[in-house]
Amino acid sequence: MEYKLRKAEPRDVSDILRLVKELAKYEEMENQVTLTEKDLLEDGFGDTPFYHCIIAEIQGESSSDDLKVVGFAMYYFTYDPWVGKQLYLEDFYVTEEYRGLGIGSDILRHLSDLAMKTRCNGMMFVVAENNESSIQFYKRRGAEDLSQEEGWRLYRFGKDSLVKMASPSEE
Amino acid sequence: MDFSIRAANVEDCKDIARMITELAEYEKVTDQVKITQRDLEQDGFSKNPFFHGIIAEVPEQHKSKEGDGKNTDSNRNKTTVASDKKWLYLCFLGKGIGKALMSKVAQVIGSGRGCHQLNFTVLDWNKSSVDFYLHQGCTDVTTDMGYHYMSCKGEAMEHLAQP
Repeated sequence: MEYKLRKAEPRDVSDILRLVKELAKYEEMENQVTLTEKDLLEDGFGDTPFYHCIIAEIQGESSSDDLKVVGFAMYYFTYDPWVGKQLYLEDFYVTEEYRGLGIGSDILRHLSDLAMKTRCNGMMFVVAENNESSIQFYKRRGAEDLSQEEGWRLYRFGKDSLVKMASPSEE
Repeated sequence: MDFSIRAANVEDCKDIARMITELAEYEKVTDQVKITQRDLEQDGFSKNPFFHGIIAEVPEQHKSKEGDGKNTDSNRNKTTVASDKKWLYLCFLGKGIGKALMSKVAQVIGSGRGCHQLNFTVLDWNKSSVDFYLHQGCTDVTTDMGYHYMSCKGEAMEHLAQP
């Protein structure tokens, strides 16, 4: 089956949101997705994009069929004070019925190539420890688990904590 | 103690580079620091910056209290502590500077940019930092949700990029 990888365009926000929700459902956290198509449009295709996206598209069986978006990767550039630019891979997903065609590997190859061309030191990402198939996918390709190997833990301030921290101290 | 919090500018890159190295010494990973002052200037202060910085400064009269011998730049007229990894000289701890830096970050990204979350990583043995952050109201996502922080770099990344 032929597929094509390309940069996402504003018209893709509906498919991007659909796939974001499919991935969240796979991670059993679908109810936590509050993002809208409007957010994706403003945040990804405005003057200062907060994310970038690669889309995987498949042509239907006959030439009159529409192209179908079956996979995506959402990434952005971040910064490590020790080594500089990093590519942060945020969401990475291929719809179940289209797995096994090499789309995931191809997306990752494309991102690695982009990281090298933009002189990024590495690619960083987060994986749930119970997502065995994804962990093995990444480890087979040379990824390291920094939480396990070096003791890095991920912490988070939610919206309420951010608001509280931003307020002047009453002490 | 008087101190002020402000956005970093390109002139701060020398101090930021110094602080990054000193924090890496504390985290026992000095050999992993490759960044230079020039990298910081190009990457943080060009048309499309890859990072932003917030600085805490104390006035000249506090300079002599640095006692631990790390201040060797006699031309400096201010003492700076950089926020991107929140390194504070020992003698300036406990003065509310760390909290003020976090407050500024929260203001800039929260009401300023409309962000919903602040994610970051901490080494599991760094108890004083973990305690500081937990006290400010954060959660440990690695423990609560089982999220592991992974990386692909160097030869592995080059290999992945091959057709």
